[in-house]
Amino acid sequence: MTSLALLFTLSAIGISETVYLIRKRIVSEKPVCPIGSGCEIVLASKYNKIFIIPNDILGLLAYIIISIIAAFLVIEVAPIYFWGLLIKILISIASIMSFIFTYLQWRVIRAWCFWCLMSAFTIWLMGIIILASAVI
Amino acid sequence: MSKTSFHILRVGLAITFLWIGILIFKQPEAWGGYLQPWAAGLLPVPIGEAMIGTAILDIAIGVLLLFDSFVWLAALIGAVHLVIVLIVSGITDITVRDMGILAATIALMADSLPKNLIDKIKSPKEENY
Repeated sequence: MTSLALLFTLSAIGISETVYLIRKRIVSEKPVCPIGSGCEIVLASKYNKIFIIPNDILGLLAYIIISIIAAFLVIEVAPIYFWGLLIKILISIASIMSFIFTYLQWRVIRAWCFWCLMSAFTIWLMGIIILASAVI
Repeated sequence: MSKTSFHILRVGLAITFLWIGILIFKQPEAWGGYLQPWAAGLLPVPIGEAMIGTAILDIAIGVLLLFDSFVWLAALIGAVHLVIVLIVSGITDITVRDMGILAATIALMADSLPKNLIDKIKSPKEENY
């Protein structure tokens, strides 16, 4: 229950963050970059989408699905095993994608985006929670 | 209220409303136990159904706050909802927590009211001329 509460909280933070980035992109405004100044460079780079879907929309969808699955697991909507497996697979894929995007910022784009890093840390924290809850 | 503190309050309240809604969905009858007997007697529907309705309302408020849409309306409904909760649940050990959330929703509502609505509240008569 505690791990699900944490997963839900983190996914809600992720939703609010991606909604902010999507809104800024739609109105063509620069997002506030609280730390550093590389947000614009990273968000406008050629790596800002996968095929034709912008990364912020993919992130939003991932966070929404994770929060819904966490809610299903709390309410104990059947089949619980399936939801448990699905949330682990989703967070694993999202963690790998976050590693790739962080590497791209570090070595290829050579600029850091606060919001992208915050999203990556949110996803990795979810992964740590999943691992910790499996061990404990 | 600064932009940053406003958004921290908005997201924090959104998570609170969403999580409470989910917990009520899990055990609606148990949450109905918080109602005072006089309040439970006033319900036109079974207590479980009434609590499911409350859960849906909580989740709707949380979604609006999280997506930064109609924040003032969501905060207003949230504040009214919390006043009703305080009335129908009576004074308990957790009343003080509800009062804190109520104060937070009022602060959020006050800070996010649309300008034209504020103007109407300030000078309602001028609108007629």
